[in-house]
Amino acid sequence: MTAIIATTVFGIIMMFTGLFVDNKKTVSSIAAVLFVALLGINIMELSDATGPALRSMTLSLLGTADNTNGAFPQLLFNNMLRIDKMSMWFGTAMTACTALYILLIGKEFRKVGTHVAEYFALIFFILCGLYILTAYNSMLMLFIGIEIMSIPQYVLAGSDKRNLKSSEASLKYFLMGAFSTGILLMGITLLYGATRTFNVTEMVPMLHSESLNPLAISGIVFIMVALGFKVSAAPMHTWTPDVYDGTPTAFTAFMATIVKAGVFFAFLRLFHVSFGNISEHWLMILAIVTALTLLIGNVTAVYQQSVKRMLAYSSIAQAGFMLFSVLAVSSNIAWNGIILYGVAYSVATIGVFAVLVKMKDYTYDGFNGLAKKNPLLAFVTTIFLFSLAGIPLTGGFMAKYYVLLAVMHQGNMMWLVIFALLMAAISVYYYFRVIIAMYFKQGDPELTSEVTMGDQVLLIATTIIVILLGVMPHWFLMPA
Amino acid sequence: MGNFSQLVYLVPLFPLVGFLINGLLWNKMPKSLAGIIGSAAILASFCVSLGIFFEVKSASFHEPVIVTLFDFIQSGKLHIPLAFQVDQLSSLFLLIITGVGFLIHVYSASYMSHDEGMVKYFAYLNLFVFSMLLLILGANYLVMFIGWEGVGLCSYLLIGFWFKKREYTNAAKKAFVMNRIGDLGFLVGMLLVLYNFGTLSYKEFFATLGTSGATMPPATITAITICFFIGATGKSAQIPLYTWLPDAMAGPTPVSALIHAATMVTAGIYMIARSHVLYSLAPFTLNIIAIVGLATALLAATIAIFQYDIKKVLAYSTVSQLGFMFLAIGSGAYTIAVFHVMTHAFFKALMFLGSGSVIHAMGGEQDIRKMGGLGKKMKITSVTFLIGCLAISGFPLLSGFFSKDAILTAAYAHNPILYALGVLAAMMTAFYMFRLYVLTFRGTFRGTHEQEHHLHESPAAMTIPLIVLAILSVIGGYVGIPEVFTHKELAFNEYLGPVVKNFGIHEIPENTEIMLMTVSTLASLAMMYFAMMKFRKPAFPESTGIAKVLENKWYVDELYDAIIVRPIEAMSGVLDRFVEKMGIDGIVNGVGKTVKWGGDRLRMLQTGQVGFYIFIMVIGMVALFTLSFFWIR
Amino acid sequence: MHLLLLTADQNTPFNYFPVALQLVIAIGFVAVMMGATHLLGPKRRTKDKLVNFESGIPSVGNARQPMGIKYFLVAILFVLFDVEVIFFYPYAVNFRFLGAEGFKEVVLFVAFFFCGFLYIVKKGALDWED
Repeated sequence: MTAIIATTVFGIIMMFTGLFVDNKKTVSSIAAVLFVALLGINIMELSDATGPALRSMTLSLLGTADNTNGAFPQLLFNNMLRIDKMSMWFGTAMTACTALYILLIGKEFRKVGTHVAEYFALIFFILCGLYILTAYNSMLMLFIGIEIMSIPQYVLAGSDKRNLKSSEASLKYFLMGAFSTGILLMGITLLYGATRTFNVTEMVPMLHSESLNPLAISGIVFIMVALGFKVSAAPMHTWTPDVYDGTPTAFTAFMATIVKAGVFFAFLRLFHVSFGNISEHWLMILAIVTALTLLIGNVTAVYQQSVKRMLAYSSIAQAGFMLFSVLAVSSNIAWNGIILYGVAYSVATIGVFAVLVKMKDYTYDGFNGLAKKNPLLAFVTTIFLFSLAGIPLTGGFMAKYYVLLAVMHQGNMMWLVIFALLMAAISVYYYFRVIIAMYFKQGDPELTSEVTMGDQVLLIATTIIVILLGVMPHWFLMPA
Repeated sequence: MGNFSQLVYLVPLFPLVGFLINGLLWNKMPKSLAGIIGSAAILASFCVSLGIFFEVKSASFHEPVIVTLFDFIQSGKLHIPLAFQVDQLSSLFLLIITGVGFLIHVYSASYMSHDEGMVKYFAYLNLFVFSMLLLILGANYLVMFIGWEGVGLCSYLLIGFWFKKREYTNAAKKAFVMNRIGDLGFLVGMLLVLYNFGTLSYKEFFATLGTSGATMPPATITAITICFFIGATGKSAQIPLYTWLPDAMAGPTPVSALIHAATMVTAGIYMIARSHVLYSLAPFTLNIIAIVGLATALLAATIAIFQYDIKKVLAYSTVSQLGFMFLAIGSGAYTIAVFHVMTHAFFKALMFLGSGSVIHAMGGEQDIRKMGGLGKKMKITSVTFLIGCLAISGFPLLSGFFSKDAILTAAYAHNPILYALGVLAAMMTAFYMFRLYVLTFRGTFRGTHEQEHHLHESPAAMTIPLIVLAILSVIGGYVGIPEVFTHKELAFNEYLGPVVKNFGIHEIPENTEIMLMTVSTLASLAMMYFAMMKFRKPAFPESTGIAKVLENKWYVDELYDAIIVRPIEAMSGVLDRFVEKMGIDGIVNGVGKTVKWGGDRLRMLQTGQVGFYIFIMVIGMVALFTLSFFWIR
Repeated sequence: MHLLLLTADQNTPFNYFPVALQLVIAIGFVAVMMGATHLLGPKRRTKDKLVNFESGIPSVGNARQPMGIKYFLVAILFVLFDVEVIFFYPYAVNFRFLGAEGFKEVVLFVAFFFCGFLYIVKKGALDWED
């Protein structure tokens, strides 16, 4: 709860910083401080929730006394929000990823345009939406969360005002987003008609498998389509390549990772908690969507010439894998799966984008000979791409392992698992093309900015996180 | 006593650090420093091992200590930690590996000092020690397997250390492939254990076996034991997978001493001794092991008699001695096998290092026909080598005497025929060892003048390890003086007793035991004398008949080539032409092309027009609706 | 009619039947009417008839001219502050009932709006002349 308020207030502070502070560097520093503060607030809240060990540790670090009564899950605003441990853990993980993103890529905001402070403010607002999505207990909050998250994204997509592609991306995203919002509202309305409630948990007894109201099924399909649009699942993915390609690279990194993971958490929450009992009515549909997403994402990525566009398709493909956690309704590791996948995918993708923003030429050829020019950049990129491809000992492998395992527990989905593995094999092709370009081709890639000492340290730290995710995944999961 | 057992992770840590330092700085490190770092790492491990050994030996040590570092695999019910187990068996092997390993490192620092790849060499050597320690210390089969693969890799790297020579890399490849065949057996065995018992941890596995082992279907137990034994035949060079070991002599001589004589090749023995609870439930497998061991011992000994390469003789001798160890295991005397591992480590490392010293002096020459009379120029090498020969031949009161005799006694208790054939192998051992000694160190020099001029004793860094090993070869056996002399439980058995229980050994009367001992000793002594006489004035006629067969190692390599390699090559030729090129390539390329083609088509969907995008979305939505209403129920 | 009332008592998909019927009739009516005018009405196409009617004055140029973005900005801002006023209406009706707590909430709400207002003024969104 504190986090939701804090991120709103911080967003407003950033807006006014933009008015009164002209120096872009000062703005960035203020933003960085606020992000760290936000992370601190998240950890504080989390420590209240997860028990005495972590709590006393953080409190003693901050030098304050333990004064919480620790009633979790918290129900707020007439049961509209339900903040439990899992949502806090996820929120904190995503905040940490955002902090990493700001540290790695925040400097690049200055190159996008003049309104640096506003960009930070928008990211704070997006986080606010994300927190609501992790904790919503009512369909209305789901809608509000999605909107709070989406609208700043439309603005960010068009932040490079003088660039036609950026404006096009913004408009496209806005139009299609508005369309999907309509579909989401339609779905919520139909579900309300069928169950007479907006509440996620109170809805459960109204939905019986034997005598399911056709309205409810329609509502579920509509919501699936709308949320599928937000996570770019096929056939609702069409906006993704254009928007991700047109958006300034610094913001694509955020939109493709943390935002997407947040929507997935909301997706999982709704479909497991509310629709878990009637899964036989929608599981097959979602399985088909998943298969289609994997197919389109991976196969189309093969043909791209630009690394940025390839990453856009790869984000579709990765969404296919994340959908697995939604499919695993009866498995108790699905939640851990989505957290691990969200973090592993976000960290690795942010890492790749942090390298990408430094490149002048976004095509594969632009990476030729990077290993000679800057071995460190090439090496960390290799590790991040390994993780995205799911090579063992990296986070991506463990994440894929968890979600696939969850679906195997679910049973009856063996064909999909095998299909996913096939697709993962295809993904190796386009990820490794970058590695081959970096190591085995001749060329002199141009960098737009210098790789400073701080960049190097951060990139190495990110690499270490990626490997730790692969070796010690349980460090990143909520202690039971 | 301090709590050394808890510090056990330090033992493999030091070599790992040594490996990392030498491995990462291989092009910046001065050679002398690499030797010092490599040796110091092993010395540090040795010190900790010593502490652990004395703690384990003390009366207050009862249960094996298991030190868990972190969870390696955690998936559902399966839970495999990276854990180390400290008990009598592992602490003994620790001492052998770090102790002998340290001496060989010191020796190498001098032996390899002229080689440009010395830093790399020490990195590999440290990595080897690390892997070997992992193998020994693991508290479950998976950790053992990791070490098992690690030593295989290091062995490959070190055999092919001088990779510029094609035959050396071929030898390395051969060793790797042979080992892989064995590893497959081990892996299958491991999976069988996992499948049937749900655990890989020694403690849980043996506890389950102890309570319900008798009720398990014997076929399962036998299958597991056979699979493990296949693994052991690969690593410990037994029939049919022994042929890689003699070729492995392509590596630097200290490597042969450390990996292919003292430590790695005994991994099979260690594995079976570790799994003795399992093997004691499978008498059938034990019989197979005894027969394979004895056959290997005899076969390798006959080959060794007719070899002219100093290292090949020692290599076949190693194969033969490993056969002895398996004979002991097959007879149920696991502790005796471990005892022989220990004494063999001392004297075989000694002889390999001695041969290294000789090769060093001869400027790389390995053919014993061109040696002779080296004893005059190389006093220390000659004397220590003689001690080694005496020890391996079972000269009374040296270490080999006790261990070999214990093996033969155990074999007699199992079956007198085994004993008789064992004595035959022991006699051949004495014969070829003294043939080697006499041809190398006695008589007159048969090489060129240049070589004769160059002959010199090796530097102290090489001779001191020789002397230390010689002393160990002399006194190493006194931990296992037979009961007939002391009328007490074997000290060695007493030490290992808590973890390794021998199986099915009948008591034999004291008189018989003394009689057996006398017979085998006299037979060996006779062979020594015979060899001394026969090779005093050597002649090397072209071999004929059976000798030629033996000189060519029973044509086993050729046999393998004819019955396995050629048919496989022929078959793979056919597969290549018809299945691979036409079938698989067609399919693979076809799949690749289809994916690319599909990608190209799907790309066309991305027109960039919002209207069309929304159209796709609506079409998709309609399809989903249709499916959910008309197909899903 | 009797049949339709009967079905409404049971809770089945069938009690949406009247709605469906209504829909069909509505669509059908429109379709029939459009088709009928199309077929029945007399048609005489002349150029003058097809030109946009602009109070009898001849039309000049394209109607889709770019407009100043300021119009949109002001329009949207007007809508935002209009919504603020709309929220005041239910508050005013329940003023007494909500008491001090309600007052606090409304002040917070207005404060947020004031922040936004301050921001747009400072940004110069309301400056008509550049």
